[in-house]
Amino acid sequence: MFVPREMLRIRQKPRTRLQRQKGRAHMGRLVDHAKMPERNLNPEFPRLLIFLLALSLCVVGARAAGTPIPHGTVELIAENQWITSGHTLNLGFRFQMEKGWHIYWINPGDSGEAPKVKWQLPAGLTTGPMEWPTPRRLGATSIVDYGYEDTVMLIVPIHANQNLAASGSTQLTADLRVLVCREVCIPGNAQLSLTLPVKSQPPAPDPSATELFTVVRKSLPRPLPANWKVSLAEDKDSFVLAANLGHQSTQAIFFPLAESQIDNAAPQKLLPTAAGFRLTLRKSDQFVKPIERLQGVLVLSADQSYLIDVPLSKPDGANKNTALKSTRHDK
Amino acid sequence: MKRSNLATMFIAVVLCTSPLLIWAAKVGDPAPEFTATASNGKTVRLSDYRGKYVVLEWHNNGCPYVGKHYKSGNMQRLQKQWTGEGVVWFTILSSAPGKQGYVSASDENDYLAKMQAAPTAALLDPTGEIGHLYDAKTSPQMVVINPQGVLIYSGAIDDKPTTDLQDVPTATNYVSLALQQAMAGKQVETPATRPYGCSVKYADSRH
Repeated sequence: MFVPREMLRIRQKPRTRLQRQKGRAHMGRLVDHAKMPERNLNPEFPRLLIFLLALSLCVVGARAAGTPIPHGTVELIAENQWITSGHTLNLGFRFQMEKGWHIYWINPGDSGEAPKVKWQLPAGLTTGPMEWPTPRRLGATSIVDYGYEDTVMLIVPIHANQNLAASGSTQLTADLRVLVCREVCIPGNAQLSLTLPVKSQPPAPDPSATELFTVVRKSLPRPLPANWKVSLAEDKDSFVLAANLGHQSTQAIFFPLAESQIDNAAPQKLLPTAAGFRLTLRKSDQFVKPIERLQGVLVLSADQSYLIDVPLSKPDGANKNTALKSTRHDK
Repeated sequence: MKRSNLATMFIAVVLCTSPLLIWAAKVGDPAPEFTATASNGKTVRLSDYRGKYVVLEWHNNGCPYVGKHYKSGNMQRLQKQWTGEGVVWFTILSSAPGKQGYVSASDENDYLAKMQAAPTAALLDPTGEIGHLYDAKTSPQMVVINPQGVLIYSGAIDDKPTTDLQDVPTATNYVSLALQQAMAGKQVETPATRPYGCSVKYADSRH
């Protein structure tokens, strides 16, 4: 029997996505017909059935691609297969943006707005602060923003109370608001839900999510190594961040956690020193009240980004830097 | 992040050395003089309005943050309220030709009529010259100039940096606060804020 080539192609492409998704079927999101393609590869199979199969795979494929937002998709992914009372479960909002479109960091920079989530959670579950991968500078003119292009995952820890009853399943729902921009900006929103079992057994990772979480953790800023020292001084127009790393560094970019401290668009002037660097950051024109400390992310190379929290040196120069204790920052 | 991306970032840092950044006016400085053509065809010179409070409103009719204030009627209300008290209000259109928010004079006149907007005038700034003079970064960024010609406020229109119409009634409006405080002879409590919204669509803007 003749089978149109197009149909075969349609069948093959979504199959790989389907297989990636199959591991998550136990999460209650998928899918009774997940095994169908293995049985139905025979080209002699009646044409109508193949057509229906192709159609159903299209639906599954669309599901796998996530919930639409303007010029992209977002998917809510759990790191573990179930919720365990007394433990923390990490959830990821995985954004996949069309080429050229971006979303924003916790501090969006000169324009834009960070994604916001409102949770609907059953009693016994609470959220921790969102973990933000190291952003990029967007724009190179008088307006500079901080955000993400292509694919990014934002992680939210969900803490399950000790007393959470380990029976049945529970639904976690997130109402997401996100601004998506290229040259223009489009606000979007999406409601994302996961239904997960609640068990007393220790947490078990979901194999289909493990790699996504491993990859994103590499892009999270880390605490500053204990033997590195960073200090902060100021003059009328600038802050000067001085780092002692024990070796010279010819690259450094700073991303401020708070808005309106440094001039986002101003060039960050780097002076390599014998044991590190000095980075001059122009103060923001919107900067009106003196600051006690500067918090943010210091990027030294593609795989080296660090959270810093540096008190401003008083004229007597009596204090030292401290690194943030955790890789999570709150706002 | 790929190495090539990082390299691009560094090039970006090195390249952004616009002298406009250094010379743009700050709160407390004299407001930079400008001359512009309004959508009604008249020529407007800022210094002609010395002796009055002047509000500058950066506008882009396609920006959802601007849309929040026009769809809710908030911007029109502010324009009517303050021009009614003798304040001069200029809506400024700094989008470059071909970019979102760029309009011809007649398009803008139609828009003002349709939205029942009531600025003193809408000023066409397709070169971005006025925008750069004031370091306008977003629409709707707002600036307030006092009768002595000094910049007394620059930043956001209010304290709710969202596109949600429901946020308008509960927001604290920084422009009204600055005008009220200055008119009462007081210090402006919040003279500078982060101006939320869409980036101004200058000819060189890519995002």
